[in-house]
Amino acid sequence: MNTSYRPELVATARDLKEVKVLAEAGADAILVGHQKYGLRVTGDFGLEDIEQAVLFLHGLNKKIYVVTNAIFHNQDLIDLPHYFERLVELKVDGIVCGDPSVFPILDEMGKFIPVFWNPETLSTNFETLKFWQKQGIQRAILSNELALDAIFEIKQELELPIEIQIHGMTCIFQSKRKLVSNYYHHIEDVNNQEKYDRDKKLHLKEPKKEDTNYPVFEDFNGTHIMSNEDLCMIEHLEPLIDKRIDSLRINGILQSRSYNEAIVKLYREAIDLCMSDLYQYKSFQFLNRVRESLGAIKSEERKLGTGFYFKEQIY
Amino acid sequence: MGMTIGKKPELLAPAGNLEKLKFAIHYGADAVYIGGKQFGLRAKAGNFSFEDMEEGVAFANKYGAKVYVAANIIAHNENLEGAHEYFKKLYDIGIAAVIVADPALISACRESAPNLEVHISTQASIANWRTVQFWKNQGIPRVVLAREVSLEEIKEMKEKVDIEIEAFVHGAMCISYSGRCVLSNHMTARDANRGGCAQSCRWNYDLFEDGTDGSVSISDRADEAYTMSSKDLSMVEHLPDLIHAGVDSLKIEGRMKSIHYVATVVNVYRKIIDTYFEDPANYQLDPEWVDEIWKAAQRSLTTAFYYNEPTEKDQLFGKPDRITKYDFAGLVLEYDEATQIATIQQRNSFKVGDEIEFFGPNFYHFKQTIKEIWNEHGEKMDIAKHPMMITKVKVDQPVRYYDMMRKSK
Repeated sequence: MNTSYRPELVATARDLKEVKVLAEAGADAILVGHQKYGLRVTGDFGLEDIEQAVLFLHGLNKKIYVVTNAIFHNQDLIDLPHYFERLVELKVDGIVCGDPSVFPILDEMGKFIPVFWNPETLSTNFETLKFWQKQGIQRAILSNELALDAIFEIKQELELPIEIQIHGMTCIFQSKRKLVSNYYHHIEDVNNQEKYDRDKKLHLKEPKKEDTNYPVFEDFNGTHIMSNEDLCMIEHLEPLIDKRIDSLRINGILQSRSYNEAIVKLYREAIDLCMSDLYQYKSFQFLNRVRESLGAIKSEERKLGTGFYFKEQIY
Repeated sequence: MGMTIGKKPELLAPAGNLEKLKFAIHYGADAVYIGGKQFGLRAKAGNFSFEDMEEGVAFANKYGAKVYVAANIIAHNENLEGAHEYFKKLYDIGIAAVIVADPALISACRESAPNLEVHISTQASIANWRTVQFWKNQGIPRVVLAREVSLEEIKEMKEKVDIEIEAFVHGAMCISYSGRCVLSNHMTARDANRGGCAQSCRWNYDLFEDGTDGSVSISDRADEAYTMSSKDLSMVEHLPDLIHAGVDSLKIEGRMKSIHYVATVVNVYRKIIDTYFEDPANYQLDPEWVDEIWKAAQRSLTTAFYYNEPTEKDQLFGKPDRITKYDFAGLVLEYDEATQIATIQQRNSFKVGDEIEFFGPNFYHFKQTIKEIWNEHGEKMDIAKHPMMITKVKVDQPVRYYDMMRKSK
């Protein structure tokens, strides 16, 4: 294996404290943001917090990316140029975008900041990503509903770093509407102070499927429904590394601090081992330890799975 | 800013197959959008072969109407094959524009059919003027907006960017941002963004609050399932507001809808647009137009995001509202003025004594009771129950080819 390749382990952080913990646990890059600009950030960072996080992470020679991939409406555009200007000044290492409005805005600013492209469900083929490459994106973040074979084909066809999610919940639905509030209002089970945000800990069950658990919450961007399974690719890192996937992301949304820290540590160890000693990585002994560790930290309601990476879809 | 009367917007109707295309145009659509056998999101709509498209374009051209093709999937690598040939063929056939969501297909179209117009689909969730500007800078002449934009937002887009805007005026809606929902993928392994949508958003769910003492079912407590179904959009009562906002194309949803639906809805919006432009200053809503829209309605109706953010009142909860549904009972093929007898092709069973309504283009309507029915050999019948059978019916007022006969279910 070529030694110049080393996958980047990216993790989301909810606040400065978690930035530090996850960097120390072995993340190479941290994703932060604010719900006003980014989709499903794990916590809200003001610009001052981002400044602190930049100083801390750059001190460790690690990267910081700011999530700004909301579907903007006219009103949201007003603050956006200023926000981007500040992020350039703070020297963040990249912004994660998903709305084409950012291209004319950044053009007019005339300053460079790496744009990583993450329109969630829409990053599904290499020609699409070549189109966005022409607009200047520096990294393609792929949709979660792709098979590994498709991901490898994109990697082969595209001269851009690519990023995929390897652990955690994925978003499966976003509405601008306040669907949970609307339901509570409809059933007149309403306390007007109530917020149906992620602290409320709500989930949906599919009809007649007792073991399903889809977390649901509201925020500035509307209503979000999350996957029934937590993605977990820790036992399948070999093909990802073999095909030189550039960045591997852990999404820590709706998980505890201790869980996120343990997960980052576990993936750090697994990636390093897979790179340095494949035989050990694939050993029963190691996998057994990984499974035990996962079993000890994961909550009972959450199932682990491999999402669409090994699954066929029909249409 | 004073009220400006712009140019007449285009009325754009869905056409799931060739017959629906002809009805949509006959009833007043300026343009129709259809799906081909590839790259479209309505896998289950009839969809058009290239031969059907040729016939459709020839028919449309006779009436000065345009035909657009929706190629609005979010493609995976394996779906890209054949895109170049497909767009070239559409251009050769005379398709006026393609409606595309995935930039991969824009690139393919640009390369193989550079003169074929590309419109950006609502699946791309265009919700602000800078994104509209982005597409304008890419040389795109028209964008179909996200269903989440308000009239105020549309106005600002039109003020800031010189581009054609297409917006929905009527029909069913995704309750998510279109394209940002993969419920179907996760729950049924069917890819919603490639035409496999199982409408999982409209299912009944159970909502739980997870507290320190475990999970509590809110749906059980309320004795009502958690659902996320939107009422259907209708701007029938507010069409001038869309015209003032500067919308260039008024789009009706529904490639899967029946001929009766398409003809009825197109007829109403055609009437409203024409009435408005005849004398904008004295325009008044005629309650008859609203009544007519309800004859095709399948759900309760809402103005969605155009005025305010939708609330629970814009969703369907509990038992569906009771809406009188109508069947397309027969199609007028011929009319004999001397005998006042119409030749009618049966589309749904009708019988002597039924209260029926005839309607046709230009908002022509009358009701009557069926007094006598004959079969094509001139034999009297009580009931016309065979699909597509040719019947003769005595009518109270003149009718023409393409007029339709409906009866309540």
